[in-house]
Amino acid sequence: MSQNIPMVPDNQLVKGNHDFASLTKLISEIPQERTPLWWYIAFGISNLVLAIMLAMIAWLFWNGIGVWGLQQPVGWGWDITNFVWWVGIGHAGTLISAILFLFRQGWRTAINRFAEAMTVFAVMCAGIFPAIHVGRIWTIYWIFPLPNSMQLWPNFNSPLLWDVFAVFTYLTVSALFWYMGLVPDLATMRDRVKGRVSKMIYGTFAMGWTGSNRNWQHYEKAYMILAGLATPLVLSVHSIVSFDFAVSMIPGWHTTIFPPYFVAGAIFSGFAMVLSLMIISRKLYKLEDIMTLDHIEKMNTIILVTGNMVGFAYAMEFFIAWYSGVEYEKFVFINRAFGPYSWAYWIMITCNVVSPQFFWIKKFRRNIALTFILSIVINIGMWFERFVITVTSLAQDYLPSSWGYFSPTYVDVLTYVGTFGLFFTCFLLFLRFLPMVAISEIKGVLPQADPAYYRAQNGNTKSNK
Amino acid sequence: MAQIFPVWVNDIPKRLQLAIILVVTAIIFGFWYFGSPEYLEVGYAPEQPIPYSHSFHAGELGIDCQYCHGSAWNSAVAAIPSTETCMNCHEYIGLDLETTQPLLDSWESGDPIEWVRVHDIPDHAYFNHSIHINTGIGCATCHGRIDRMDVVMKKESMSMGWCLDCHNDPAPHLRPVEEVTNMAWEPPDDHNEFAQMMIEKRNIDAPVYCNTCHR
Amino acid sequence: MGNQPQKTYWRSLNELAQNEEYKKFAEREFPEQATELTDGVSRRNFLQIMGASVALAGLTSCRKPVQKILPYTRQPEHLVPGIPQYYASSIPFRGNLAGVVIQTHEGRPTKIEGNELHPESKGRTNSQQQASILELYDQDRSRNVRNNGSDNSWDNFVAFCNDHFSDTDRTVAFLSEANSSPTLARLRNDALERFPNARWVTFEPFNNESVYSGIESVFGRRLRPLYHFDHTRITLSLDDDFMQESDNNVSYIGDFAESRKMLSPDDEPSRLYVAESNYSLTGSNADHRLRIKSSEIPPFAFALASELSRKINGLDAYSGYTNAFNDHSWIRVLAEELVAHQGNSIVTAGAEHDASVHATVAAINLALGNAGETVEYLEVPHLDATDQNEAFHTLVTDMNAGTIDTIVMIGTNPIFTAPADLNFGEALKNVGTQLHLSHYFDETSKVSTWHVNRAQFLETWGDGYSWSGVRSVIQPVIQPLFGGKNEIEFLNAVIHGTDESAYALVRETWRNVFPDDFESHWNRVLHDGLQTDSRFDVADVYMVDGSAEIITTYLNESTAAFSDGIELVLKPDPKLHDGRFANNGWLQELPDPMSKITWDNVALISPNTAEQIGVPPARKFGETRQQVIRIQTNSGRQTEIAAWVLPGHADRSITLYTGYGRQQVGRVADQTGVNTFPLRTSSNRLVQQNIEVSLAGRTYEIACTQDHHSLEDRPIIREADLQQYRDHPTFAQDEVYIPGTHGGEREHPLSLFSDKELPAHEPQWGMTIDLNSCVGCGVCTIACQAENNIPVIGKREVRRGREMHWIRTDRYFSGNERENPKVMHQPVPCMHCDNAPCEQVCPVAATTQSDDGLNQMAYNRCIGTRYCSNNCPYKVRRFNFFNYSKEYLTSGDDPEIIQMAMNPDVTIRFRGVMEKCTYCVQRISRAKIETKKDTGDSIKPKDGTVKTACQQACPANAIQFGDISDRDSRVSLEKSKDRNYMMLEELNVRPRTSYLAKIRNPNLDI
Repeated sequence: MSQNIPMVPDNQLVKGNHDFASLTKLISEIPQERTPLWWYIAFGISNLVLAIMLAMIAWLFWNGIGVWGLQQPVGWGWDITNFVWWVGIGHAGTLISAILFLFRQGWRTAINRFAEAMTVFAVMCAGIFPAIHVGRIWTIYWIFPLPNSMQLWPNFNSPLLWDVFAVFTYLTVSALFWYMGLVPDLATMRDRVKGRVSKMIYGTFAMGWTGSNRNWQHYEKAYMILAGLATPLVLSVHSIVSFDFAVSMIPGWHTTIFPPYFVAGAIFSGFAMVLSLMIISRKLYKLEDIMTLDHIEKMNTIILVTGNMVGFAYAMEFFIAWYSGVEYEKFVFINRAFGPYSWAYWIMITCNVVSPQFFWIKKFRRNIALTFILSIVINIGMWFERFVITVTSLAQDYLPSSWGYFSPTYVDVLTYVGTFGLFFTCFLLFLRFLPMVAISEIKGVLPQADPAYYRAQNGNTKSNK
Repeated sequence: MAQIFPVWVNDIPKRLQLAIILVVTAIIFGFWYFGSPEYLEVGYAPEQPIPYSHSFHAGELGIDCQYCHGSAWNSAVAAIPSTETCMNCHEYIGLDLETTQPLLDSWESGDPIEWVRVHDIPDHAYFNHSIHINTGIGCATCHGRIDRMDVVMKKESMSMGWCLDCHNDPAPHLRPVEEVTNMAWEPPDDHNEFAQMMIEKRNIDAPVYCNTCHR
Repeated sequence: MGNQPQKTYWRSLNELAQNEEYKKFAEREFPEQATELTDGVSRRNFLQIMGASVALAGLTSCRKPVQKILPYTRQPEHLVPGIPQYYASSIPFRGNLAGVVIQTHEGRPTKIEGNELHPESKGRTNSQQQASILELYDQDRSRNVRNNGSDNSWDNFVAFCNDHFSDTDRTVAFLSEANSSPTLARLRNDALERFPNARWVTFEPFNNESVYSGIESVFGRRLRPLYHFDHTRITLSLDDDFMQESDNNVSYIGDFAESRKMLSPDDEPSRLYVAESNYSLTGSNADHRLRIKSSEIPPFAFALASELSRKINGLDAYSGYTNAFNDHSWIRVLAEELVAHQGNSIVTAGAEHDASVHATVAAINLALGNAGETVEYLEVPHLDATDQNEAFHTLVTDMNAGTIDTIVMIGTNPIFTAPADLNFGEALKNVGTQLHLSHYFDETSKVSTWHVNRAQFLETWGDGYSWSGVRSVIQPVIQPLFGGKNEIEFLNAVIHGTDESAYALVRETWRNVFPDDFESHWNRVLHDGLQTDSRFDVADVYMVDGSAEIITTYLNESTAAFSDGIELVLKPDPKLHDGRFANNGWLQELPDPMSKITWDNVALISPNTAEQIGVPPARKFGETRQQVIRIQTNSGRQTEIAAWVLPGHADRSITLYTGYGRQQVGRVADQTGVNTFPLRTSSNRLVQQNIEVSLAGRTYEIACTQDHHSLEDRPIIREADLQQYRDHPTFAQDEVYIPGTHGGEREHPLSLFSDKELPAHEPQWGMTIDLNSCVGCGVCTIACQAENNIPVIGKREVRRGREMHWIRTDRYFSGNERENPKVMHQPVPCMHCDNAPCEQVCPVAATTQSDDGLNQMAYNRCIGTRYCSNNCPYKVRRFNFFNYSKEYLTSGDDPEIIQMAMNPDVTIRFRGVMEKCTYCVQRISRAKIETKKDTGDSIKPKDGTVKTACQQACPANAIQFGDISDRDSRVSLEKSKDRNYMMLEELNVRPRTSYLAKIRNPNLDI
């Protein structure tokens, strides 16, 4: 993780000589001003794409899993790939809000709200796939331990079951955490919006926040507790997702390195996603003062670190495969690099291992355009990582007789594309109606928030420089 | 600044929480109870093409189950008797009753009588009558006092759980094989000793793995 | 097949309650089937309703549909509902009967097994015999008599015959498929008596005529060779695929396997040499295989004979003959081998080869003293006196000349199968009246005046002889579903103009067989399915005078020099034969034993030839589209067909299978593959030399079930040469080091899971598959499909790699692909692991281990995550990607018919559930229950009482199944052999199915 630098005045987190009032204004104005045209356009497109996804899922339910490209031996294809990918993206949020919070990383305040929202929506997208990938969706409730006249329980040995619980817990806690942090800001919104209806709505969700000391006291406690709860989850959820593979016995899946490797990959892709979104919205909403280059640089540093961890994992897989001396294991990895799926493998390597290396150089770390491009590239790479793990291992396992080549159908593709519809629909609504930066928290990192500040300035509040 | 909400609103969150807990529990329980075979199946007594009365034939006349449902002793199914079987008697008696008319029609035309199935377990479950009867499970154990029914009624849920209850602990339901058709049979006081003896002698271990019933 | 929208989803439940199925059936002549049928149907619909309603958010309440029970009005005696009945009968094919036992449920035949009392079947079957049950329920079979294409009645046909044949001077030609029925023979004589100008011709597109003619030319009589592969030490097959194409393949495979049985390293397995062009099933089981063009077989045979003539007497006619093969290494070796094993060796040649080859082979066998020992020459009374290929030729000439007034065609389909140069279609036009009896309204029926729909062997009475002459009766088990007539009734109507029942006619014939005490004999025959100790007489054979001269002429005719042009070889398809089975979905979907192709025929070529033509010599992994080539014979006939590279095929040779590309015959047969008969001429029945081959410039999609053909040096199939085996008997177990097992303290490596304690009173089921016996014919797959209600899913789905077969036969090539690779066959069912990886990962515990050790699959618990399949190292699990069973069982005009073929003891699987081999658990349960009822306290069936479908069908007896907790059970004995090994044992999944390593017996001089 990034190191804990003491705040020095010439390197403040919020640029542009803001004081409390101006900051509050800057952020809380956004939901109040007239909805910009681009928002309507973007929202329209997202809805369209979302509709496509729903259509594809209906088609799937109507005909059966056969509408996907799956076959013997490849029983999981894009469905699980997409699931793991989305869950991975869903990692940045909690990491930023919980772990960085515990590490007292002030700079998180600019982006945590934003990242948490993204997390919630990403996990929603992820959740779709395990649900629809089953052959008989109408019996899926059997995986929950419910009383029934068959006197049957689910099989608690199955990683798939752990997965369900892990993802559900993660979704609940992240949603809770997100909402928790929103409460004071919702109150601010409540007090600032005109119009009775909006007041009522914000008011309802503000749950009667008054900003009293008592409120703040509880708030801080609860926030700390949730952060404590969420922190292990960040690591657990993707570890458990990785068990779906690691616990099975297919060469290329049966690997002990998976949990850390998956978590690193998740943070990697999560941060990349946050960056892509942030770079656009800070421009659109003129938030350069809050989401500054410093932030981008810090995040790029994390990307560089996690990217190299992932790269190390790739290398390690090969080493272990060779070192284990298991023929099947060796074959799978050599086959990944040079077999029928090598194209996917090399895309993965280029995007995930090569591209982040740019960030060794400070100039690139602070280059917005490059950062944006790479953040996209990295997420492409991470999708391919999951594809390579899921498909190539299955396609050529133990018995050469049952090897087969998987190729997706249009339904596979459009379902995946469709999830972006869901994601952006939610995200745009968030941008439009909620304060996208944690107002109360960001104020906390202003120099003015430091009780010593006024003494240092002899009560002179004219300028910060 | 003017308040948006009245004071009483403050209680809403607490109540909401309570309500949610209650509702969720209610839903699960509702499904578990009202969706259960015990609730849906038991008591199913459809009208039959012929108002054949078991209470009369099996009860008053005391015709043994085997006479009509003999296949239950050596086959999986306890078949419905052929028209022929009925005609063994009804060639001579009850010809004038208009209730027997469909029977005679079937006999002349050769078209089978369309009885309505009462005890219908799902098609993916394979129940075998013969092994149960030959192990000493009485007809009444699952079908109830047929000899007291005018219209045959489903007495037990015949859900998977119901089967398992007995398969997990067969002892209370065992009886001497020669007593299986005895509707009125009641376990004697020394039933447990008897059951244990049976279980050892015939090495009864009602299997509970899937293949027992599902293939 | 395809995936149609599932209309019935929207059916209201009341409509379901109406249950039109049983209504239909109450009207049928077999109302008792209705109960089972409503079951079969309602099971599916029930699941659908459940599915649809819940999936569509509680569209309807899930009330069960009302079901009706239809008891018998008069119950047949001996019939107990729920208990299957068995009848002995026989299946006719190319005039030979195979003894079988037919299982019926409440009057509907559901399964065919071999007849254990029958000396040839010995309880075993082949794919076609297994699949013939589906033929019975083929709704595309012709359903009524037709006159000039329009529906008519049998009575009218009889009336017509009465009138038409009242004039007995008509020149009538009877054109019949091969048939050994004594009753038919009787009628045949009547016919020839009644119509002085009549003639009788037997027409089979693929037949043994040249065998008989060849033998006649040296032994003076048309005799039938019967080989005893179980007594042979050395077998030389000259392009003879006796495991596939022979009429007697079931017992030949069995005998061959017998001669190779390895109980211990000291056993002496026989040795098989094969010289052939196509890589045939027989070739894949050879110890030594020589790739030569089929056109080079005759010179090869002559060269061998002349080599032998220097060592033994009796072949003087060949002495001094020389050709290019004389100094071929094989000739010398073979000669030595054969001479060393006089009296216990066999030489055979492909039936379609010229008479010259068969004459030579016969001469060699006689000279070696094999005749009477390993080869018996049988006197077959019903054989025609002359070569029927020529007879057919002359018939067509006369037809063209217009001298034939009426032609009566019995069963055969010459329009489709006759040699193209004869142009039978034209000839038929010059015949006044054409009568045709056939199962389908086929190519020939369409151009005939009268078409009579034929009854299948399960539907009417008949009789005949097996290959070796065992006399049997064909006993029907069901009334003709479509009211057809069989050849006996048909011919009787033609000759006598009466409507006699086959039953009466057959009994009449048999009255002469058993003059006294007929009924008891008759009943015995019906019970056993054969007349005990009946057999053809063995002729004692010698070279007749003049044979030498004939041989000399043969030798002079044969070309000593070979062309290096490309030759074309036409062979009957291993599955569809000449196309008569083309409408059988099971056979169409059964992967070809060698190429693993389904639903199509291809041009088989070697890698080198492929390069020569311009086809890529190696297929890209996962590539389904194949190059199409244009083949033109020197007689100008041409066709276009997809090329398929088959390693080990002879260079400059192309093999085509017949039987595909039929038109408007049935839903299954139509549009599958290419019709190759147009390339076949009466002069070149087998081989055509110097053909033109070019790329057609397009590709065609092929559905092949095995994408990768190399073992990648993985110890999956373990084999050794005889010598290696003797030096190291436990090679199979030692091939892989398994941590923990060696040193003998522990039977298995350590496991994370505590070993389950399975109850002692339960039997513990296990299976062994002896790779040394298995020849790879694939009958196990069909038998399994028949037993376990496995749907046919169609080419598209197979191409996507979704085949549903519970037991597959893997085929691997090893060695130099360009030269002469070895082939290994391995049947793979579910291994029923004690440590099953599939069980651990199922989230809903739908697959678990039973107390008797089965890896059980509860379909109705399965939610379809496919995790189990992913985690199965053997990839034996099959997923219902679409609602295959529904498409399979409800498509067509009246699906009830195919529904009758279903086994009521096995659940019909619904869309979205996983399925796999169950060790035929329905048979196990039945046996356990019966045992319990008999013994009162035990549920361990006697060894051998439970046979899995695959085991029962296997002609090589390669599969053993039983209780492995019983030390003396057959399967335990097998498992105790040193060749026994577990596939992927190192994974510690502890499979219950183990394999016995293959032993090859090569000649070290080669």
